[in-house]
Order: sequence, then structure tokens, then C-alpha cells
Amino acid sequence: MRTKPGKAIFALCFILILCLGTSCISLGLAQEEKEKEDIRPERGISVAFEYPEVIINRGDDVSVDLIVKNKGKRDENVYLRITSAFPEWDTKIKTYNFSISSVHVPDGEDKHVTFYAEPEKDIKPGTYEFKVDARTEDGQLKVSHQLTITVQEKEKEKGEIELTTSYPVLRGPSDARFEFSLDVANKTDKEDTFNVTAKGPKDWQINFKPPYEDKYISSLRLKDDESRSLNVEVTPDRLSKAGEYLIPVLISAGESRAEAQLKVIITGTYKLEVGTATELLSLETEKGKPGNISMYVKNSGSAIIHDIEFLSIKPENWKVEFRPEKIEALEPGSLKQVEVSIVPAQEALVGDYAVGLNIGGEKSSDDLELRVTVKASAAWSWIGIGIIVLVIVGLFGLFVSFGRR
Amino acid sequence: MTGIGAIFRKELADHFSSYRFVILFALIAMVSLITTYMVGIGLSEELSGIAKPKFVFLMLFTSTGPLFSLVQFVAFFGPLIGLILGFDSINRERSTGTLSKLASQPIYRDSIINGKFLSGVVTIAIMLISILLVVSGLGLTLIGVVPGVEEVWRIFIYLIISIFYISFWLGISILFSILFRGIATSALATLAIWIFFSFFVSMGATVVANAMVPLDQATTEDPEMVMRHVRLQRAVSLLSPMQLYNDSTAIIIDPMRKTTGSLVLMGAVERLLSERFRRPLALSQSIYVVLPHLITLIAVTFICFGLSYYVFMRQEIRPI
Repeated sequence: MRTKPGKAIFALCFILILCLGTSCISLGLAQEEKEKEDIRPERGISVAFEYPEVIINRGDDVSVDLIVKNKGKRDENVYLRITSAFPEWDTKIKTYNFSISSVHVPDGEDKHVTFYAEPEKDIKPGTYEFKVDARTEDGQLKVSHQLTITVQEKEKEKGEIELTTSYPVLRGPSDARFEFSLDVANKTDKEDTFNVTAKGPKDWQINFKPPYEDKYISSLRLKDDESRSLNVEVTPDRLSKAGEYLIPVLISAGESRAEAQLKVIITGTYKLEVGTATELLSLETEKGKPGNISMYVKNSGSAIIHDIEFLSIKPENWKVEFRPEKIEALEPGSLKQVEVSIVPAQEALVGDYAVGLNIGGEKSSDDLELRVTVKASAAWSWIGIGIIVLVIVGLFGLFVSFGRR
Repeated sequence: MTGIGAIFRKELADHFSSYRFVILFALIAMVSLITTYMVGIGLSEELSGIAKPKFVFLMLFTSTGPLFSLVQFVAFFGPLIGLILGFDSINRERSTGTLSKLASQPIYRDSIINGKFLSGVVTIAIMLISILLVVSGLGLTLIGVVPGVEEVWRIFIYLIISIFYISFWLGISILFSILFRGIATSALATLAIWIFFSFFVSMGATVVANAMVPLDQATTEDPEMVMRHVRLQRAVSLLSPMQLYNDSTAIIIDPMRKTTGSLVLMGAVERLLSERFRRPLALSQSIYVVLPHLITLIAVTFICFGLSYYVFMRQEIRPI
């Protein structure tokens, strides 16, 4: 069978045209894309501080992010150099853990590095300008950016830590324990650990305690804007004399610090000591007869003790007398002798009794327990022996008068 | 005093060879041994846990076993020894007619009574010493505790008191044997005296106290009244030598006892303070506490003997 040649040619032409058409369109599109890419320059970098102007307090250091951008069409190694710096500043460019002098930036990307500047402690307040130059490896591209740091005078203690106490002065004897309560407020804007230290007189013990807890601390952690109370327990040296003692308490964390002055007024201790001259705490006596013992009362504290009175715990119907009956005042370190006379009751049994003496003065007292041995009266024994002798003599009288019969 | 030695030796030989003495001694020794044995067994069980008890050895004599303690036994039946040894000492000689023969020998008349009394005392002493020694030896093996010096002293003093006490009864019985011619009469009289002092005086004391200071519902509450009652009762019962002996031996043998009284008025504080130091009394203190008792006992013994001596010396001795 024959085919029509005309028809076949037409179909071929149509396909050709179709193919051409599509290729033309696709070519055109490619042309368009090429033109878009070409907007970027062949090479281009930029460097910029994240915060070009920084205000700090004196003593603080500065770290600001430095953004390095590659705007070109090829990767670049960018060299960074701080060109203008001050001798009182220690400056460097670094990443997380090391200093750097160049950074590799792939095309179209940007890198963040840190500009770090640490001033000397006594830097003057003012404006300091730092300039960072960046250039490509071949030195064809150079850019720079400037950072202005304004150092201002530190606001004193304000906005840092506060240390307050409601009762800064306590008084008492030297054998007492003083507890101050301090309030620590963290007004800094960061959480921190604060060390607390105190300096007292020699041989004094000063401990810090959390309230209601029985442990000693030397530092405490406070969140920002948190405040907490803190007990300071002061145990003075027992031998310290009466007077005023200052205890500065310091709380510090890094640069921020606060101080509070605590004061302890020692009034002297009250301590009575009672004993007998021979150290013997026993005495012997008879029923109804006084037994005497002399005891001493000693003021071993550091303050005068007034109104020392004597009490006794004794069996019923017994008599215990003191001479003198009362001591008006006893100087520290001095000693007084007191005669004690103990009279057992007539009906007391033979044997040992305990008699307690209580010597109580103003704010101090001491006890003494005596063993009183009540002995049987030996007076009757002679009468008894007399009776026996009389009876025997009578017997012998009988022997003599009636014997030899 | 010529002849007293001969009388003394003869009487002693008579005592030791008589069946009466042997039976009596066997009885008393047996009862004391049984008593001590029971007490000893009880004590060693009781004390097994205690670290170091004080005066354990004396407990052997004082603690009451199932029946009574050795001290109580001697107090009650000890007088019987004295009575039995003496109730016929003179009137038997008289009724058998040996007294006039004895008096016709070249010995003084007082040697007879002295020798009889002395031999009785020595017999009593030997009896008591042997009983105490046997009991102590038994105690040593039973408890295994060696007595201390003070304990030995206390036992010694107890022995002396007991000898005097039993000698008192011996004196009574000798007195009755002089007073009454009949042996049965004097035996009955001594028994009556013993019963009177042992039972009736203590009963009579209660009766007297009840009559003088009656204790009824109201007065029992009052400690003063109770004390008066008890004091009166004690005073009356002290008429009995047995009470004297009981009180004194109780104090001597038990160092923890501080008074002879059975009831003591004590305040609350006094009680507390006296119990603070629980210390036994020193031996001298124990003696002082019962010194009046001891003196009375000894004096009564001497007086009793003196009385029988006087009566015997004044009596006529006729051959029958």
C-alpha cells in the first residue's frame, strides 16, 4: 500500500518546529538566570560589630560579636586585625576558646567571631574607639569597622549586693552566744555564689548559719533579685574582758561586695563556784548536834555578782544555817568563806543523809551536795559501861560479904 | 575460891554426859543446820546475778528461809537450853541429899553456885560456838563467799550477846531451883516465865497500846497517833529480854538496819535524802544504836545471877 508523502513531510516539519520551539524557550530561560547571578560582585567582603557602641562600667570587660560576611562569588579567607587600640586595653579576636587572626568564609555566608577587650583596673572613664581591619588573603579587598566603648564610673554598691541587719549590736556575758541575723539581697542581675567572711577578735568563733538549720556555711548561692537571711553565730572568747567588739562581715562575689558592721558588747560573765576548803563533801554529826563545815563561794566570772543567797534541801525538822546568811556583792575573782551548820533532827536515824546546798546569786548559781553521817551518841555508852561496872562491883560485893562461909 | 575448879569440872562432865544435853543439842543443831541449808540454797540462787553483794555472809543468819532465820530460832528456843541446863541444878542436889555432903567438903559454899553457873555458861558457849562454826562452814560451801573482817566481828558480837542471853535464862532457872524445893515446880516455873516473856509480853504490849492509844478509823490517818501507839507498844514489849535480844541481834547482824523500831516516821524529803547514799552502818555505829539493849541484857544477866547467889548463900543447908 502506498503512503502519501505530503502528509509525512508535514508531520516531520511539525515535530521539528515543536522541538525548536521548546529549545528556544528553554534557552531564553537560561539566559535570564545567568543575568540574575551576575548581580553579585565577583568578590566582596564586609565586617561589622554587632553592637557598634557599647557602654560598660569601669572594671567590666567587653565582648562583642564581629560579623564577617562574604558577599562575593568565591570563598574567602578573611584576615582580621585590630588596628587602633589603647595600651590600657588588652584586646583580641577569638572564638569560643582560642584567639584567631583569620576566618574562612564560604561565598555568600557569614561568620561570627568575638571581639574581646579587657581594660586595666584603673582605666579612666571615657570613650575608646577600636577599629578592626579585614582584608582578603591577596589583599585586594579591605574593609574596616569601628567599635566605640564608653567606660563610665561604676555606680557604687547600688544594684549589687545588699547586706543589712536589724540588730547590729548585741550585748551579753562572755560565755553567752550571740546570734545576729543578716539579710543578703542579690541586686545584681545574675545568679552567683557569694562568699561570706567575718573578722573577729582573736580566739572568737564566728560562724554563718542558715536560719533554722544546724550547719555552718561559708558561701551561699543567690538567684538574681533573691534575698535570704543569714544567721551569724558569734562565740566570744571566755576570757575576753567587758567592752565593745566590732565584727566586720564581708560578702563578696567576684567584683561585687558588701560589708556590714556587727558589734558585740561584752558585759562580763556570771559564774559562781562553791566548794569546801578541804574538798571534802561529807561531815559527821550526832542527832540534834550541829555539824559544821566551811565552804567557800568564789566568783569565777568577770562581773560582780550581787545578792548571793543560800538555800538548802534538807530532811524535815533539820536545821541548816549559814553564816553569813547572805553575801551582798562578790567581786570577780574574789572568795568568801561561809560557815554551814547542819543540825539533824532529834529523831533522825543513824546513817547517811544527803543535804543539798544551793548557792544562788544574780544570774548564776551552784550546787553542793553534802553527805551528812548521823552518828549515834557515844555519851550514853559511858553511862552504860558505868551501869555494867556497878553491877559487877555489886556482884563482887556479894561475893565478899557472903563468900568464904 | 578453892573447890570451884572441881565443881566446875564435875558439873561440865555431868552436862556433857547427860542424855538431856545430848538430845537438846542434837535437836538444836539439826534445826539450825536445816534452816541454814535452806537459806543458803535460796541465797545462792538469789545472788547469782548480782555483781558483788555486800555482807552476803550475814544474810545466812538473817534471811528467813521457809520457816524462820537462825537468829529468830536462837532467840526463841535458845532460852530452853539455859532453862533445861539449870532448872534442877540445886534442888536435885538437895533432894538427893548430896548438897549437904558437898557443903561438908572443904570447899566454900559460893564455889558450889559459882561453879554450877560457870559450867552452865561454858556449856552454852561451847554449844553456840559449835553451832555457829558448823553453820558458817556450811555457808562457805553453799554460797562460796568468804566473810570479811567486819562480818566476822559482827558474828562474834552476836555470839557474845547470845551467850549472855541464854545465860540469863540459866540464871533464872538456877534461881528457881534454889527457891523451889520440888524439881517439877521449878521446871514448871521456868517454863511459865519463858512462855510469859516470849508470848505474853508482846501480846500484853499490844493490849496496853490499844487501851492507852486506841487506833480507830480517824486516828489511823494521823501519823502522830500511830507513832505514839507504836512507841508505847515497843516500850512495853522491851520488858521482855527476848525483845531486847531480838532488837540488838537484828541490828548487829544486819548492817543495813538503822533503827530497832519497826515503824519510823519519816518525811518525804527525809526519805529521799536518806536513800541517796545507801551505805551500811559501821560496826561501831550498829553497836551504839543497840547499846542500851546490850547493857540491859548484860546487867539483867548479872543481876539474875547475883540474886540467886544471894538467895543461895542465905539459905540453910540441912542434911535430909
